[in-house]
Amino acid sequence: MATVQVSEAEKVYILHGVRDDLRVDGRGCEDYRHMDIETDVVSNTDGSAKVSLGYSDVLVGVKAEVGKPRPALPDQGYLEFFVDCSANATPEFEGRGGEELGLELSNTLYKVFSNKQSVDLHSLCISPGEHCWVLYVDVLLLQCDGNLFDAISIAIKAALFNTRIPKVHLSEDEEGGKEIELSDDPYDCVRLNVENVPCIVTLCKIGHRHVVDATLQEKACSVASLLIATTHRGTVTCVRKFGGGSLDPESIFEMIETGKRVGKALHTPLMELLKEEESLGKKRQKVGFLG
Amino acid sequence: MAADMRLPTRREEVPLQGTFANLVVPGDVITTDTGFMRGHGTYVDDEKLTASVAGEVERVNKLICVRPLKTRFNGEVGDVVVGRITEVQQKRWKVETNSRLDSVLLLSAVNLPGGELRRRSAEDELSMRDYLQEGDLISAEVQNVFTDGALSLHTRSLKYGKLGQGILVQVSPSLVKRQKTHFHNLPCGASVILGNNGYIWLYPTPGQLDEEAGGYYTSMEPVQLADREVISRLRNCLLALAAHKVLLFDTSVLYCYESSLSHQVQASVTCHLPVNEVLIETRGHGGGCDGDTTPP
Amino acid sequence: MPVDHRRIRGPDESFSPRLFLPSGSAKCAAAEDRRSGDGARGNMDVRAIFARCGLVSQAKGSAYIEAGNTKVICSVYGPRETERRDETEMKRGKLLADVRLAPFSCRKRGQWIQGTEEKDLSQFLLESLRPGVLLQKYPRSQIEVCVMVLENDGAFLAHAVTCASLALADAGIEMYDVVMGCAARRSGDAVLLDPTFAEEHDEHPSPSGKESRLTLALMPAMNQVSGLQAEGEMDAESLVEAARACMEGCYKLYPVVQQTLLKSVRKKAPPPES
Repeated sequence: MATVQVSEAEKVYILHGVRDDLRVDGRGCEDYRHMDIETDVVSNTDGSAKVSLGYSDVLVGVKAEVGKPRPALPDQGYLEFFVDCSANATPEFEGRGGEELGLELSNTLYKVFSNKQSVDLHSLCISPGEHCWVLYVDVLLLQCDGNLFDAISIAIKAALFNTRIPKVHLSEDEEGGKEIELSDDPYDCVRLNVENVPCIVTLCKIGHRHVVDATLQEKACSVASLLIATTHRGTVTCVRKFGGGSLDPESIFEMIETGKRVGKALHTPLMELLKEEESLGKKRQKVGFLG
Repeated sequence: MAADMRLPTRREEVPLQGTFANLVVPGDVITTDTGFMRGHGTYVDDEKLTASVAGEVERVNKLICVRPLKTRFNGEVGDVVVGRITEVQQKRWKVETNSRLDSVLLLSAVNLPGGELRRRSAEDELSMRDYLQEGDLISAEVQNVFTDGALSLHTRSLKYGKLGQGILVQVSPSLVKRQKTHFHNLPCGASVILGNNGYIWLYPTPGQLDEEAGGYYTSMEPVQLADREVISRLRNCLLALAAHKVLLFDTSVLYCYESSLSHQVQASVTCHLPVNEVLIETRGHGGGCDGDTTPP
Repeated sequence: MPVDHRRIRGPDESFSPRLFLPSGSAKCAAAEDRRSGDGARGNMDVRAIFARCGLVSQAKGSAYIEAGNTKVICSVYGPRETERRDETEMKRGKLLADVRLAPFSCRKRGQWIQGTEEKDLSQFLLESLRPGVLLQKYPRSQIEVCVMVLENDGAFLAHAVTCASLALADAGIEMYDVVMGCAARRSGDAVLLDPTFAEEHDEHPSPSGKESRLTLALMPAMNQVSGLQAEGEMDAESLVEAARACMEGCYKLYPVVQQTLLKSVRKKAPPPES
């Protein structure tokens, strides 16, 4: 992770600010920084989205490919996550420097999505035991300014909303061999139901309180953070503690409560925004990477 | 809980005031006249004076330089800088000051408690970490520039020294205007050090007691909420101004602060804030009185 | 992915035929309650553990733990001088954790090379142990913790945490407290503490359809949670409930671990001079 140095006095200033519910940039403890969300930014993907949260920038591309279902779950497709920490974001990621963080992020994403509710995996099945759709979700970090988990989860939700999987038709010839036919019409697509895709809220414990969407400076003041992934209904799909410190059980329960509340509240504006963007259709002003 | 999500919008460009007469990119031939001397940012190729950086051409008599508009800090003697200690070495501290090389702060160039004439003993050398340790922020003045471009700093004045509670804002060094003084106690209730190196330190205006310990005592008392609000607002103003490439000095900061008062502190979190109107106003006031601003 | 060429490997993909058995037939019927399997263990009971310290003679400290059929071995090496001289963290020691699952430990054969899953487990172990160790007492040095899971019969990560802190204590590393691990599985409304493999992978969907797994690391004397990891579907209340159950489980195992350590210390002590 891109790290910043913070002096003791600066830490004290941040700590007292969090206590007074006024953070360095004027936010309260449960406020997010400004978020810019744009979908359909990369043409070679089946779905893509770019999210910038403060100065954190995340690009997600989803590619759908036909693969073989896992033997244990023959009637389901699956998702594959890969997070690449580009050296563009910080020179620390150069070479294998970003590998550890990338692995941590992608492993967590697997956990967040390891339930039956998030994405309807049965709908990704083409023919049981033989073919299914594999969704490769590739995350690229373009800029790091803290709170990557939340930005990534929002970008993934937006990208999955934007994903269009080509319709396929299964035909059987006389000998019983199966053939997959791709629809001729490029607009003949299936879309995913992303309603239940969870959003991640990372809470950083600073002093006796916790804050959402911590900047790098704030993160340097905290010894432990808790990640909570929630759906729009408030179902928690993943919880994980990060960082070298430990937490009081009571404060964990408090943080789970906050995380659930904040996470739940993230979904509505996000879905509204995505729908609004879609309704604009061709009139939408494309900004891409120049924003 | 507030989450502000929106579709990205293309940033509107505020029309630039003033025109740059001579902008060049690397490889541009500036002149073929051999009568000129080559300065920084140029090279001579085949008797043609060519630019090696993108920037503005400056001519002083026969000397031609190209001044890059975005660059790391090139310090000059007398510059006020804000820096962060990166390393404690024998008789010196290494300081990160946004310049090409780490700057040096010699033990002999700091004021130690006990007056200026105090001799530096071996004990002082051992307790260097007690004064300044890795990660600490200091304000200092450039004392000397070494041949390789590294800066030597000093804090031999009571106004320099270790910085206490406050916020560091980092902007491009070329946005900080050179002035008589870079320490301002703004009338809005906070103080600012506009470092020439683009590091800007915002802090609550200190009381009278502070200067006893020679600048090496930091108060860990909580800062008042009202002061905090002012400082946070100033921080956001500075970032907004920097994002729109407005020269930073006390007047421009103050005007921006005043015109932002109609908005909530939170709203100014982003650079998207109605900066434009604020900006134009700022430019109207600040841009006019070029140079001669009296410190409040 | 890098492949180990020194080994003759089977076909690229091979599966155990047991994987294709209809679900439920091979697995012991781990129903909502534990009335049938596992003897008289109630839902909120942990398995009895067997723990020993100091069985790897080469290591500075080591421990072995057995809970049901879950068997974990751990050795600690160090503290010794750091290999990589990172400028950043010289004031405190560095803790390294490495979790490996033996290829034969699970139903499906694993790879010898450490996969991404094992790296994730290692990270959890590291983050659970770090708050418990007084790393500031070991500047410039590193302490390595290696965990090998010999047999996985559920909740191996939780037992790995306990085993690793036993080994750390055996190695004489200064610690605030012994870090205890405990796992729980929630299926529907029932919480199963310290689940077996069959219980963990029970495919029978519960009526409400919500299933989740939770692993928690606790420092009982400090009452601090040093590690927490949960996945699946749960609502906040049931999550809290499961976490509390896990903490209960940790408290139950704590005296056993203390006894084990005392016993190993006693063994190390020189015979009293008569």
